[in-house]
Amino acid sequence: MTWTRRRFGGFAGASLAAALGTRAARGQSKARVIVIGGGVGGATVAKYLAASAAEIDLTLIEPKQRYTTCFFSNLYLAGVRSFESLTHNYRTLAQAYGINVVHDAVASIDPVAKTVKLVRGGRLSYDRAVVAPGIAFKFDDIEGYDEAATQSMPHAWNAGPQTELLQRQLKGMDDGGVFVIVAPPNPFRCPPGPYERAALVAYYFKQFKPRAKILILDAKDTFFEQDLFEDGWNRHYPGMIEWLPVQFTGGVKSVDSKARTITTAGETFKASVANIIPAQIAGELAQRAGLTDQSGWCPIDPVTFESKLQPGIHVVGDATSAGDMPKSAFVANSQAKACAFAIAAALTGAEQIPPHLFNTCFTLLAPNDAVSDAINLKPVAGSIKITDIFFSQIGESDETRRQTAREADDWYAAFTHDVFG
Amino acid sequence: MTASRFIVPSLTAGLVILGANQSMAADRGRGAQLAAMCASCHRLDGRGKAIPSIVGMDKRKFADALVAYRSGARSNSIMHAVALQLSDGEIATLAEYFAARPEDRKRP
Repeated sequence: MTWTRRRFGGFAGASLAAALGTRAARGQSKARVIVIGGGVGGATVAKYLAASAAEIDLTLIEPKQRYTTCFFSNLYLAGVRSFESLTHNYRTLAQAYGINVVHDAVASIDPVAKTVKLVRGGRLSYDRAVVAPGIAFKFDDIEGYDEAATQSMPHAWNAGPQTELLQRQLKGMDDGGVFVIVAPPNPFRCPPGPYERAALVAYYFKQFKPRAKILILDAKDTFFEQDLFEDGWNRHYPGMIEWLPVQFTGGVKSVDSKARTITTAGETFKASVANIIPAQIAGELAQRAGLTDQSGWCPIDPVTFESKLQPGIHVVGDATSAGDMPKSAFVANSQAKACAFAIAAALTGAEQIPPHLFNTCFTLLAPNDAVSDAINLKPVAGSIKITDIFFSQIGESDETRRQTAREADDWYAAFTHDVFG
Repeated sequence: MTASRFIVPSLTAGLVILGANQSMAADRGRGAQLAAMCASCHRLDGRGKAIPSIVGMDKRKFADALVAYRSGARSNSIMHAVALQLSDGEIATLAEYFAARPEDRKRP
């Protein structure tokens, strides 16, 4: 085949570009797509739709002006990355991609009239909507842990002020203090995240508070890449990190955010700093828009990522219930591309090839010691199944781990560029 | 397949969507859709050290590398996984796509 990529930079004031056969070319108004949520999933859908189908009128709705990535935020807690380096904006998407970026929140979606009502007023209509709301927390699962309690015991599982709060608390902690991480039940955003957080906070403690301890109270009995983490913890931070599975503790039942205590079925722990990562469900808008099933997550078509509950609305990212796909930024990006090509196909008659779904996670055990995994996934019988899975191995050479850490750094730059331009 | 091509119609007042210096060619052919997977890790602006640039790479070199990753002759678990997803035809499409693609400073 021949594929000619054309550029039109020379057309001063270049105007509407439209492919034959589209609504625009037929003299109708342009097809409208509204993407709600400017995280990794939403921003990727918007960018890839803009790049692949200029004949679509594209709006991205996101309340915040800036987006801070949760991935790599543990490196900020470790003191090796700045907060600014994790923060991105929507200027390139608006200016270079011509996306109408609206900084507002969505009050409601009417799936029958196909309209989106904005909080500050105004109603937009769509031919297709994409909802990428990320996660919400099940605050009622741990007694005493509510929105207000997050101000003294941060979750730091949506990056931003919560991450900065946790960093300040860790910095202010006395040497000899105890940092408690409450790790959530499955499924949750970023399966290696809580354990990477333990490793990278330990890295910080090792330098500045060597007598400090880290206690992980887990809602699970096993966790992702457990052998790699335990090996890394023991090599880099011997004796500093203790992990207690739910079978030992009976699980976290309540917290007292003023006293900073955490009570399991049998014991109460006093924390110097507490990071409570609650159980999760799809972001709040997904609940309100009728996109979630009993699991609290959004069932989707595995090829187009259209909701199985609300036709015309697609869902991507952590909010989806997508078979074997983990909840990661990489997965959100992978889903978003399939979704963008599916919407372009539906609205412009373009061809969508079968999606290539993939996940890789770079995980840091220390700034110079990284591991990775690689997962191939495929739509199978209405769901998404793992076809291949590879992990870093225990006992790899220091140079291999250093090289993986360098790749992780490059990956962050490439990935955020892929998402935000 | 036929390449998707853009027709630029006459200037239409009120429908100006692009600034003078921006270009927005439709990039949604088979090559572009496959290359989207690569762009999650490889920068398309020619930069990248530990994860090398693949933009403008020689067709033959590109295809040989992916075939070697797929068989395991070249070792890298992420690239092994990626290559396992690709048929010979898809590898050829990607090799063509990246060989023809110039480094992109403005857009990935």
